Amino acid sequence: MLHHIQNKIYHVEILPPKQESEKLEKDLELFAQKYTRVMESGYCACITDNAMGNLSFQGTEMIQELELPVIPEQVMIHLNTFHTKENLDEILNDCVNLGIKYLLIISGDGSERLPKLKPSDIGVTGSESVTSVELLQYIRREYAGKFVLGVAFNPYEPPEHEFEKMERKIAAGATFIVTQPLIEKNAVVDRLLEKYPDIPVIVEAWMSKKLYLLSEAVGYTIPEDQDYDPIATLKMLHQTYPQCGVYLALLGFKRQYDLIKDIWV
Amino acid sequence: MLTLTDIERKEYSNIWVVAEVSSGAVQPVTHELIGAARELADARKSEVWTVAMGSDISSDAKSLFAYGADKVIVVDDARLDGIQDEVEAKALVRLINKYKPEVVLCAATVKGRALIPRVAVMANCGLTADCTGLSIDPENGDLLQTRPAFGGNILATIRCSNHRPQMATVRPRVMKAPEPDRGRQGEIISECILDTDADKVKKIIEIFHSSEATLNLSDARIIIAGGRGMKGPEGFELLKKFASRVGGAVGASRAAVDAGWIPYTHQIGQTGQTVQTTLYIACGISGQIQHLVGMQSCDVIVAIDKVPDTPMMQMADIAIVGDLFEIVPEILNELPKL
Amino acid sequence: MKIVVCIKQVPATNDAKIDPETKRIIREGLKAIMNPFDTYALEEGVRLREKLGGEVIALTMGPPKAEAVLREALAAGADRGILLSDRAFGGSDTWATSYALAKAIEKIGDVDLVICGKQAIDGDTAQVGPGISAHLNWMQAASVMAVEQVDESCITVKRMHEEGHDICKMQLPAVLTVVKDINTPRIPSLKGRLAAQKAQIPVWKPEDIGADPDKLGLNGSPTRVVKTQPPDPRQTDTIRIEGTAQECARALVRELRLRSLV
Ligand SMILES: Cc1cc2nc3c(=O)[nH]c(=O)nc-3n(C[C@H](O)[C@H](O)[C@H](O)COP(=O)(O)OP(=O)(O)OC[C@H]3O[C@@H](n4cnc5c(N)ncnc54)[C@H](O)[C@@H]3O)c2cc1C
Ligand SMILES: Cc1cc2nc3c(=O)[nH]c(=O)nc-3n(C[C@H](O)[C@H](O)[C@H](O)COP(=O)(O)OP(=O)(O)OC[C@H]3O[C@@H](n4cnc5c(N)ncnc54)[C@H](O)[C@@H]3O)c2cc1C
Repeated sequence: MLHHIQNKIYHVEILPPKQESEKLEKDLELFAQKYTRVMESGYCACITDNAMGNLSFQGTEMIQELELPVIPEQVMIHLNTFHTKENLDEILNDCVNLGIKYLLIISGDGSERLPKLKPSDIGVTGSESVTSVELLQYIRREYAGKFVLGVAFNPYEPPEHEFEKMERKIAAGATFIVTQPLIEKNAVVDRLLEKYPDIPVIVEAWMSKKLYLLSEAVGYTIPEDQDYDPIATLKMLHQTYPQCGVYLALLGFKRQYDLIKDIWV
Repeated sequence: MLTLTDIERKEYSNIWVVAEVSSGAVQPVTHELIGAARELADARKSEVWTVAMGSDISSDAKSLFAYGADKVIVVDDARLDGIQDEVEAKALVRLINKYKPEVVLCAATVKGRALIPRVAVMANCGLTADCTGLSIDPENGDLLQTRPAFGGNILATIRCSNHRPQMATVRPRVMKAPEPDRGRQGEIISECILDTDADKVKKIIEIFHSSEATLNLSDARIIIAGGRGMKGPEGFELLKKFASRVGGAVGASRAAVDAGWIPYTHQIGQTGQTVQTTLYIACGISGQIQHLVGMQSCDVIVAIDKVPDTPMMQMADIAIVGDLFEIVPEILNELPKL
Repeated sequence: MKIVVCIKQVPATNDAKIDPETKRIIREGLKAIMNPFDTYALEEGVRLREKLGGEVIALTMGPPKAEAVLREALAAGADRGILLSDRAFGGSDTWATSYALAKAIEKIGDVDLVICGKQAIDGDTAQVGPGISAHLNWMQAASVMAVEQVDESCITVKRMHEEGHDICKMQLPAVLTVVKDINTPRIPSLKGRLAAQKAQIPVWKPEDIGADPDKLGLNGSPTRVVKTQPPDPRQTDTIRIEGTAQECARALVRELRLRSLV
């Protein structure tokens, strides 16, 4: 992951179409376009897993169905704990077969419709539920050496809990960290960088103008400026955190995409 | 569909209650329904009849007069083992046709909700589910039935003007049971089953009783929920004890689920379940909007938190300020022993 | 085994509006989804077919766009779908809904098992499943949490109730209504979803199922929704309890008793 940062490779988030989509063909086409564009730019495509609990298609089935090329350094799959055991193994095996090696392991958001891994599914004892920590342990045990595993860090949660959890995530095998979106210098992230100087950290940049959506995504109210400027914020993040990589959430492919190529230089 | 003329409508009188019988005993919800039926009968100047169907229930049936029943029809038959919806439905339809009640009330329990729709179809009459309010139009005897729908977001008033009897179910604890008047007398009418499905098989293989708080969140009437303030899985053991004492289920915030203290099936909120209970007790849950959307339509919300002004404490009907690890055990002491 | 799964399309959100004129639900603008309980009914049907062979038919009554839930059912494993759709079905209460569905099930013919969800999240009555069973004069089991065994003539199911659960064996054909404990519904794959989009879905009218027009829709519905209103707003004044733990506990239990909540 370190060389993603050294080589200034952006992580660009792409959401697969939702299951309920009424214009599936069009959504598939759009996904393929975005993915191809990210590949061509040399960036890394990060494909979400039922983000916000919205039932969506899996990154792996999208890549297979649309016959998209996988460049191992340029694809990252999010994987959360809302799967059946069978489905989880299917996704992991698909990743192995497709040559995908970067996984972002998260607890994730559920919904009434999403199944949840049970501790017994993945051989966990001593915990009532499966979180990213148990999922990491499972993948490291059953798919040893096959993946590079990352985890999420939420600086908006009470920090003591978050740091305690990060300790366990690292112990379970996480080798890189992606933060929740930052819109300014963040003291908790500073502390994270100090605590884990040897672990690559990727800060997330919120590329939508709609800040209220960010509040919904992190679960805490983010004070809203009148005018939120995503591009200016991105520049600020590069200056503030030169040692970090950057993950672009909700990047606009029509207008913003061309603007970012000259920012991280 | 067959509808009634005014003259035919007048042939129907009296308010009936179908007794909830399980494990061979009449259940308390029956008393609540009799209380509601009594008010309707008084308004119509008619009688309250109760139908008790089951095995070995004759002695229990007599106790119903004390709550306001005037007559009790007893169908006491060893074959009624609690699962014979088909047989009970046929018996009830025959009694309805014979005695022509104006209104039939039944408990919205798992059993009642399976039996009574069957009866309504066979008797050609309307059925209103889960009523929270019942009143009668003195002009024409129409029952005005109010019920929540759309997960409690709408209250609908329903009439069945052209059909008799008018049938409705009511959930346990929605109506108040009257104080029993032990001296009150009434008449027992014995009836029997004429029509069985003797050619068809339906039999109980096994029965399991569980006192554990294994209730589903969606079926629970009371939820005791815990958040990050529960500190660990042991905290949830305390809540399980609390829940089983009040016949409720255990809920949780996402913080508690993410910490691995309790399975996801207990999570309430935007990315968990939406619940609508008569009582919700939040212990150590601050009440972020993602949690509140899942439980805000509960009838009575109680919050226990050491911080007095969290969103949950502000939204609650009853807010208790203090350490939950001291307060919850005291509540268990104060609750009536089972 | 020939299995019919009854599926209702319901509005997704919890804040659906009702048209003040017609007293009917305004469905426009709301996302329409498969009734959550019915995803479990469907999954159980598909699992039984996978085990025993046969066919799973998804059946829905609703407006033309209710076809979407049938396509979703096909993507999730149903073999075919049937849409009951006609003006004459409009405004049905649970009596008329279960009549129409029962007539369609008769028309399908040789059905061994009908599986319904426990309840729909909009109408919320849980009456349609037992209603279908009554119209067909079949056996029924409500709130089923597991299918234990099926043979030629009988099905054994585990039913959930307030005091625990029981296992009962009954004759086929029968109607089940299922609760969410019964299984974990699969999520349709992209492949399945793309294939389902191409399927032909027949639309049946009252004459196709030999239904008596007087028993359909508004005509056939004994209940009438005569008024709808929002529920009373939450009371805003909070009762605050402070003091020693014991004082707090006493005060709370007293309050709860007053409201007969415990
Ligand atoms: C997309 C998304 C979806 C989400 N979905 C959900 C969801 O479905 N459900 C959900 O719940 N959350 C959800 N969340 C998370 C939500 O934003 C909050 O983070 C979460 O609800 C907080 O849980 P909590 O109230 O238990 O924890 P906290 O906010 O940490 O509250 C703990 C409370 O316990 C009190 N406390 C601590 N110790 C004691 C003690 N000894 N005695 C008394 N009180 C004590 C504290 O004062 C505090 O008020 C979601 C977030 C996101 C971003
Ligand atoms: C506010 C309001 C209140 C109402 N109250 C009543 C009432 O008290 N009594 C009454 O008789 N009607 C009532 N209705 C009408 C009722 O909602 C409709 O009859 C509806 O068609 C079926 O009832 P339900 O939604 O309660 O379904 P339920 O009985 O809860 O559904 C159970 C199962 O039956 C199957 N099913 C239900 N509908 C269909 C369908 N259209 N197609 C295929 N399968 C289906 C599904 O498997 C579902 O899981 C009310 C309607 C409204 C808007």
